Amino acid sequence: MRTDPSENGGLFVGRRPGTAPVRFRSLPQRGGDVRQRIDGSIATIMLAAITLLCLLCWGPIPIACLWLGSQANYLTGSVSLGLLVSFAALFALLFGALSLMKRLDNAWILVRRAAGYDQRTGVLGRIFAATAVVCALAFLLWFLVIHGPGTSLVARGGGN
Amino acid sequence: MGLLDYYRQFEGMSEEEVNAELREQAAERRRKALTRVETLDLSLTTWPELPHPRIVSAITFVARRGLHRYPHLSASDLRGALAEHHGVDPERLILGNGAADLLSAATRALLEPGQQLLTHWPSYPLYPLMARRAHGHAVRVADTGVDALLEAVAREPDVRAIAIASPNDPTGELLAAAELRRLLETLPAGVAVLLDEALVDFADAQPTSTSIELLEQHPQLLVFRSFSKAWGLAGLRIGYAIGAPGAGELLAELAPDLGVSEISQAGAFEALHSCSELMQDHVRAICDERPRLLAALRQRGFTVADSQANFVWAAHPTLPGAELAARLARAGVLVAAGDALGEPRHVRIAIRSESATDRLLSTIDKAA
Repeated sequence: MRTDPSENGGLFVGRRPGTAPVRFRSLPQRGGDVRQRIDGSIATIMLAAITLLCLLCWGPIPIACLWLGSQANYLTGSVSLGLLVSFAALFALLFGALSLMKRLDNAWILVRRAAGYDQRTGVLGRIFAATAVVCALAFLLWFLVIHGPGTSLVARGGGN
Repeated sequence: MGLLDYYRQFEGMSEEEVNAELREQAAERRRKALTRVETLDLSLTTWPELPHPRIVSAITFVARRGLHRYPHLSASDLRGALAEHHGVDPERLILGNGAADLLSAATRALLEPGQQLLTHWPSYPLYPLMARRAHGHAVRVADTGVDALLEAVAREPDVRAIAIASPNDPTGELLAAAELRRLLETLPAGVAVLLDEALVDFADAQPTSTSIELLEQHPQLLVFRSFSKAWGLAGLRIGYAIGAPGAGELLAELAPDLGVSEISQAGAFEALHSCSELMQDHVRAICDERPRLLAALRQRGFTVADSQANFVWAAHPTLPGAELAARLARAGVLVAAGDALGEPRHVRIAIRSESATDRLLSTIDKAA
């Protein structure tokens, strides 16, 4: 009869899944305090860059693509070409931005580790979701209050 | 280190890489486990395997029931079972913390300061020690026969007891029942025989009950047995002594003042109750293997005593015991060198399984 509760025949690992420590190919040689502080600052700048790129995805890039499409329409007189240019530019810029952000996120993890943090995962997903919420709220504010029914109601109310 | 290389060193390994490395480590461990050869320990006379789970369960049960109490001094259950096993009155049987403890107590009870304890030599190293503890002297008789003992009794002025191990540790020789009877019949009155039969279960040359039968006519005989060897319960330190009818007073003197641990009693009782057949199987395996090992060693020029124990006492034709033991140890086989046991030319080799014998012989062929 087996009575040792810690003996599970190797069925379970002794920690929760996903909490394994990071394994390096060789033990990293971290720089001094100054270097780590600099790395911390670089990581913050990179985080800001990722945030900016995310924000671009939710407004400026689509607007820029629509502008490109309108220019094509204006120059050629073809609506179809305008639409095509808009969608092509949108796909290219969005996927390019996503690819760039993914690379930045990976680099950010390394810089954070170099700065002395036990950074295990990236931050891109959370920033992407947060900027989506912020931009959606901003759009709603603009659409409903600044430019949409809100302004009409205000104008109508003012007319009465 | 370049700037990019500095940051690349912080790159963790991917899950696939980690898994590949773990698989490689596991394969390496398996390779090593397959190539590693465990040391074969033939230096001990105790049984090499763990006790039967029923014995462990019985001990656990008793331990859980209450270790806060003192054990029953009379140990009537175990004494009764042992008495029934040997066909004697329970009053003629006492328990002790190992046969050695009872032998020591018997020596103290029998020997007055300055009196002598006779023993064959080489034999169990405790005998001279227990004579000294009783403020007596040990007289070692080099010849193993009964005649040598009788001559020593006639020669020495103050022999009070004779300690005989049968089978003898380390030679493995058994004192034949007829010889023991002759010794008992010839000895002068007042000389007791302490017959240490810790290893008698391994003997197949005569029934193991012959010495106990002799007790009926020879009150100067005391027989000591143990659960440490064939029963494989050395860790429990439990043994017993059987005396002649009417020896109750002497036996009472030998018994431990505060009895035997209840855990030891439980283990021994369960062994007796449910593991007798297993013990017989163990003994049979040893008895089957013993002639083969004896013959193989003699074939290689060893001088080997006729063993009736679970070991053989052998002398290499040229090498001293310590040198042979050292060479075998380097090849992963441990035997007991004879110098610590009283005869430096010999080694004591425990008998195990057929495969152990094969490994021992092949190691001897290579190393010696």
